[in-house]
Amino acid sequence: MKLLAADLRVLRNLPTTNLGRRTLLSAAIGIGLLAMLTWWFAQAVVTNPQLLARLHRETGGDELRGLLGYGLMACPLVATWLGLALAQRQLFEGQELALWRQAPIASARPAMQVLVRATFLSCCWAAALALPFLSAMLQSRQAPAWAHGLALLTIVGATAPMLATLLAVHIVLVRFFAGRWLRLVFALIGALASVGFSTWLLMTMFARGHERVQDVVAIASLPRQLPWTIDTGAALLAAAARGTIDIQALAGLASWLVITVLVFRVVADLHPRAYERYLTAEPPLWRNHRRWSTSVASTLRKKEFAQVLQQPGALIGFLVFGVLVFALAKEQVMVGGILKVTRVPRDVTHLAVLLTQWFLAVLLVLYAHMGRLVLADSAQWALYACSPASAFAILRGKLTAIFAFMLWPLLLVALTGVWLLDANVTTLAVFVGVALGGTAVAMGVLAVVGTSPALMRPEDSGHTAQGGKNFLGALVLVIAFQLAIVPVSLAIWDQLANEQNHRLLSHGLALQWAPIVVGIALAYGGLMLLLGMWLGSRNLRRLLRAK
Amino acid sequence: MSEPVILTQGLGRQFAGKWAVQDLDLAVMPGEIYGFLGQNGAGKTTTLRLLTGLLQPSAGTLCIDGLDHRTGSRELKQRLGFVPDTPPLYDYLTGRQYVALVASLWNVPRRERDDRSDQLLDRLGLAEHADLLCKGYSHGTRKKIHLVAVLTTAPRVLLLDEPSSGLDPMSNKSLKELLLAESARGTTVFLSTHGLELAEQICHRVGILARGRLRAQGTVAELRHQHAERSLEDVFVAITQAATP
Ligand SMILES: Nc1ncnc2c1ncn2[C@@H]1O[C@H](COP(=O)(O)OP(=O)(O)OP(=O)(O)O)[C@@H](O)[C@H]1O
Ligand SMILES: [Mg+2]
Repeated sequence: MKLLAADLRVLRNLPTTNLGRRTLLSAAIGIGLLAMLTWWFAQAVVTNPQLLARLHRETGGDELRGLLGYGLMACPLVATWLGLALAQRQLFEGQELALWRQAPIASARPAMQVLVRATFLSCCWAAALALPFLSAMLQSRQAPAWAHGLALLTIVGATAPMLATLLAVHIVLVRFFAGRWLRLVFALIGALASVGFSTWLLMTMFARGHERVQDVVAIASLPRQLPWTIDTGAALLAAAARGTIDIQALAGLASWLVITVLVFRVVADLHPRAYERYLTAEPPLWRNHRRWSTSVASTLRKKEFAQVLQQPGALIGFLVFGVLVFALAKEQVMVGGILKVTRVPRDVTHLAVLLTQWFLAVLLVLYAHMGRLVLADSAQWALYACSPASAFAILRGKLTAIFAFMLWPLLLVALTGVWLLDANVTTLAVFVGVALGGTAVAMGVLAVVGTSPALMRPEDSGHTAQGGKNFLGALVLVIAFQLAIVPVSLAIWDQLANEQNHRLLSHGLALQWAPIVVGIALAYGGLMLLLGMWLGSRNLRRLLRAK
Repeated sequence: MSEPVILTQGLGRQFAGKWAVQDLDLAVMPGEIYGFLGQNGAGKTTTLRLLTGLLQPSAGTLCIDGLDHRTGSRELKQRLGFVPDTPPLYDYLTGRQYVALVASLWNVPRRERDDRSDQLLDRLGLAEHADLLCKGYSHGTRKKIHLVAVLTTAPRVLLLDEPSSGLDPMSNKSLKELLLAESARGTTVFLSTHGLELAEQICHRVGILARGRLRAQGTVAELRHQHAERSLEDVFVAITQAATP
C-alpha cells in the first residue's frame, strides 16, 4: 500500500512542476485525440443501417456482441505493445527498484507494483481506444448507466491478464536465461512491438472508411472466435445493454482476472533473483584496442559510430528502420498513385517512386539524427564548452557521422528499388545522385536547426527535457527541409513540364535530362551544405559560450 | 615573485537576483594547491564554473595565467582542465575511447596521449576497466576515468570539484600523489572538497567559503593559529557558524 500511495502522490505532484504539466498535457492531448477519433468512428458505425443489417444477418441477431467484441480488441493489442516494449525497463531498470529491494517489504511487492503501474498505463490507453466505441454501442441500445461502468471492468479484464502474462514470462526468462543474448532479443522484440503498434494505430485510425468497415465486419461477424476474455466481456456488456447481468460471464471474467494476478503473484517471487541476474549479466564486452586518431573531427565521427555500434538498442533501431522502410515500400505508401501513371516512361515513374520513398524515409529519421549535434551531448556539454576545440571542427565531425547514417535510408530505398520495383541501373544511378544531393540539403538544414540556440540549448543539469521545445524543433526541421527542397524540385519540374508540352516525355529525352538533373541536385546540395555549416558553426559558437 | 595564475577581483555571480558567490578576491600562485572549503550550497561549484568559463561573472574580473577571461579564448581553454563532480562520460564509449575523445578536443598528439594515459590508467588501477563500456563503471571508476582524461591533456591550471568523493582509500592515496606530482611540475591546482583531511594533507593554502563569501584563507597552520582552534574542523565550524545569521 505504501508503494501505491507513493505512486499516487507522484501523480498528484505532477501538475505542480512545469515539466510535469507538459508531460500530462501531451499525454492528455494524445489520449483525448485517440478517444475522439474512436468516438467518431463509432458514430459512423451506429448510423450505418446497411452495416448493422449485414451484421445482424451474419451473426444470427448477435451483432451487438460482435461489435462490442470489435471494440474490445484494442485492449490486448495495447497490453501486448506495452508489455513487450516497456516490460524489461520497468521490471529491471527502474530507478526505484534498488530502493524497493532494500526496503522491508515482501519480495514479490516490487514486481506487483510494476504490474499495477503497467496496468494503469495500459488501461488508460486501452480506455481511450475502446471506451468511446463501447459507450456509443451501449448508448445506441439505450443501455442503463451502470452498463457503461461495466464497460470499464471489461476493459481491465481484457488488458490486465495479457499484461500479467507477458510480465511473468519476462521474469521467468530473465531468472533462468539472463545474458546478453536475452537482452538483445528483448530489445529487438520491444522495438518491433513499438513500431508494430504505431503502424497498427496509424493504419486503423487513418484507414479509409470502407476499409475500416470491412475490418468491423470481419471481426464482429464471428464473435465466438474472438479470444475468450474479449468474447466474455462482450457477452457481459451485451447482456447489460438489455438491462440484465450475465452472472456466468461476470464470474468468468472476474475469476480469470484473479487467477492471472495470483499466478503473477507466484512468479513475482522470482523477481528478486531475476533482478540480480539481470544486473550481473552485463552487456557485451568490447575490447576495442584500435587507437583513435587525434583530430577533433575524426574523433567525433568515430565517437558517433562507436555509440551506435556499441549500443545494442541503437543498432536494433537501425534494423527496425530497415524493416519499416521495406514495409512502407511494399504497401506502396504515398506512391500508389505515381505507379499508376502510364503516360511517362517506366524509368521516370520508378525514379519518382524512389525519390518519394527516400523523402519519406528521411523525414522519419532526420529529427533523431539531428539530436546528435547538441541535444544528445547535453550531459557532456560542459566538456565541449571548456575545450579549446573549434566549433567548426566539432560540427564537421558530427555532420560527417550523421551524413554516413543518412546513407542508410538511401541504401534501403535503392534496395527496395532493386527488389520490389525491378528498377534498372540507370534509374538507380540517377536516384542515388539526386538523393545524395538531397541528403546534403538535409545536412545543411540540420546543421542550422540542430544548433539553433533558441531550440537546442542544453539544460544546466544535463538532462534533455521532453516536451514542447522538442516538438517545435522537429516541426521546424521538417518544414525547413521541405522548404529547402522545394525550389529546385519546382524548377526541374517546370522545365520538364515545358519540354513535355512540345513532345512526349520519351525515354531518350529522360536519359538526356538525367545528368543535368543529377548535376543540379548535387550542386544545390553542396551549396546548402556549405551555407548550413557556416550558419551552424556560428550557432554552435554561441552555444559553447559562457552562460 | 611570480604573478598569480588565478587572479580574481570582486568576482561574483547572481542567479535570479540572489548572489551565489560574491566579492571573491583570489590569488593562486603557480604550482600552488589551493583548497576551497564550504558547506553544501556555499558556492564552491559556482566558483569553479566561473573559473572554467562555463559561467559568465555578474561582477568583478577574472584573469587566468595572464589572460583575461572575458575573451573566452581557445588559448586559455587549452591551458585549463576541469574535473566536475559528476563526470561527463558517455555510457556507450569505452574508457579508453573517452580518453581519446577528450585528448583530441585538447589537441594532444597521439604519442603523448598514449604514453600519458597508459601511465595514468595503471597508476589509478584502471587498466582492466579501460576497454569496457563506461555504462558499467562504478561511481569511483567514472571519476577516475575522467581524471585520467583531463590529466592526459596536461593542463597548466587544474580545477577539481570534490575530486576525492566516492574514491576508495587506495585511489584517494593515488589521487593525492598525482596532485602533488602535478603541483611539483608547476601545475596550479584549485580544488573544492568536503574532505578536511585532504585539505590538511596536500593543500598549500585553503579558503573557507560561507554563504557565497570568502570568510578566511591561509595555510592550515595560520588558520588554526588565528582562530585559536585545535583542528581545521573546529576552524571550519567556527567560521561557518559565525557566517550564519
Ligand atoms: N544554475 C543555477 N541556477 C540557480 N541557482 C543556482 C544555480 N547554480 C547554483 N545555484 C545556487 O547557488 C548556490 C551555490 O551553489 P553551488 O553549487 O556553487 O554550491 P556548492 O558549494 O558547490 O555546494 P555542494 O557542496 O553541495 O556541491 C546555491 O544556493 C544554489 O542553489
Ligand atoms: Mg558543488
